[in-house]
Amino acid sequence: MSPAIRALLAGLGLLASAAVQAQAKPLPTYTPAYEPRSVDERGMWMMADEYERVLRNSPLLIKDPGLQRYVQDVLCDTIGKDRCNSVRIYLLEAPVFNASMSPNGVLIVNSGALLRLRSSAELGSVLAHEFAHFELRHSLEGFKQKRSMSDGMAWLQVLAGLSQTNVVSALYLLASSMYQFDQEQEKAADMLGLDYLAQSKFPSGSAADVWRNLMAEHDATAAGRKQKAKHSYRAGYFDTHPTSLARATYLAQAAVAVGDASEDPERARHAQSLGSALPKLLAAQNGLNNFAGTEYLLSSLAADQGWTPDLLFARGEMYRLRANPRDMVTASSLYREAIDKGYAGPEVHRNLGLSLLKSGQAPDASVHLKEYLRLLPDAADRDLIQTLVQQ
Amino acid sequence: MLLRCLSLLLLLLFAPAAHANKLMAAGAHGDVAKGSFAVRTTSEWNRLKQRPGKFQEVWTIDGERLNQLTFFGGVPAGQPLFHERDKKNNPLPKVPTDLLSIDIAPLLQSTYQTLGSAVNFEVTAQKPFDMNGRKGVRFEYRYVSPEDEVARMGEAVGAFHGGKLYLVTYEAPKVHFFNRDKAKFEDIASTLTIQPAK
Repeated sequence: MSPAIRALLAGLGLLASAAVQAQAKPLPTYTPAYEPRSVDERGMWMMADEYERVLRNSPLLIKDPGLQRYVQDVLCDTIGKDRCNSVRIYLLEAPVFNASMSPNGVLIVNSGALLRLRSSAELGSVLAHEFAHFELRHSLEGFKQKRSMSDGMAWLQVLAGLSQTNVVSALYLLASSMYQFDQEQEKAADMLGLDYLAQSKFPSGSAADVWRNLMAEHDATAAGRKQKAKHSYRAGYFDTHPTSLARATYLAQAAVAVGDASEDPERARHAQSLGSALPKLLAAQNGLNNFAGTEYLLSSLAADQGWTPDLLFARGEMYRLRANPRDMVTASSLYREAIDKGYAGPEVHRNLGLSLLKSGQAPDASVHLKEYLRLLPDAADRDLIQTLVQQ
Repeated sequence: MLLRCLSLLLLLLFAPAAHANKLMAAGAHGDVAKGSFAVRTTSEWNRLKQRPGKFQEVWTIDGERLNQLTFFGGVPAGQPLFHERDKKNNPLPKVPTDLLSIDIAPLLQSTYQTLGSAVNFEVTAQKPFDMNGRKGVRFEYRYVSPEDEVARMGEAVGAFHGGKLYLVTYEAPKVHFFNRDKAKFEDIASTLTIQPAK
């Protein structure tokens, strides 16, 4: 691209660096009951409000008041009580790692994120990152930047047509700049999130741990699928976020500069708070046909809390669902261990019975299938299980 | 290259009507899912041109998101229930060689979950089912589709025979559609005949 076109684009504020620099200003002072100020912002809030009305009745919502309160408390512990009260948190059933923030203060956390975050501090870092998007008005800035870009691209093509000039490289640069802007916003939210974490009781190093753990899970999944794990520092052309490796690196460096404690004082709080929601999260993970990734997650959870009956049952399910003949033997022993450690749900006897049946141990299988039917006389699959019980 | 494009264009223009959507009138149909099933219907259905996999055939009344009948016509062991979308990064579960009737519903569940097309999947009933002499299962289920956030219900009959899975599922939104058309599926299930490949 010629220097003249570059200068013209920069002058119009269409290049990412210029646009991002423009918003690198001091943080807006916190304003309780903030109201949108411009036409664009009012429009975005109106759409976000409408989305929130729909979201409130979504069948995907996790209706667990205890878990909801825990996530809200962690947000308040991280960003402070004044700021956190402006946020409404919605927990969604979605077994992938993600969270998002709307411009009007709706914070969505996926069930997959709750399963993968190992401590309140890690949860706090994700929530603080999302809140930073809200506080920095990133949705509005992103919308305005994309509108300017698309306007610029349209005008550039008109001018290029009139002057018979090749502007392909300029269009390429503008498109690239659009994604670059998204990545810069993500990094800005990461850094402000880290600032929140640094002034909270949580260790700021937890933010980098989130991305390290995700990379490790990715590695485990790739190895299980006999693939080579790849981690790149540089994001791709169409990527809206920096790569996990880049985020882990710059967040770790920033945490070193903060120099606070590395140990989370409330590490056990997260596992305790997931409590009754954990079996459902694990069941959803087991349905994803990702044996190695699930094994990694279960082992990580067990490293913190030991092999609890819930984790043993989930691991048994993992083997039973993979369904290799040797897996049935492993599944049976894991179910037995879960029972020994106090797993009380009748389904453990059902699944142990089915595993034993597939291992060729029909008499033992019948004992457990009968026990399942005794514990759950109205079982939805009673008639079918009866056909498998040895008379 | 130009010749290849022209051939493709001609093929699209003059493709035989057999590949289009087709009205399935009430009555007997002996060539469902490439001849894997024979059924008798008491009402009209529409057979969709698009198949979710090599072994499947989809029928609907008002549109596939409103009422969907999917015939899985003899999916061999080792194959997934649907065509793989991202085999490298998100492989689908395969039909195991030792599939029990009680494993059919969890296989469907895991396939949907892996595809990301169902959350809160719950099997609400399972009973033995005789598919013209083959031991099988009849099961009911419900789930929420994340893409439209609609709660759906389903009913299915299936059997594993000769190393192949024969399965017919009926799914519709819980509100209004499922109960309205359930009897039409049950008519089909009661007349369903497996026709293993010769």
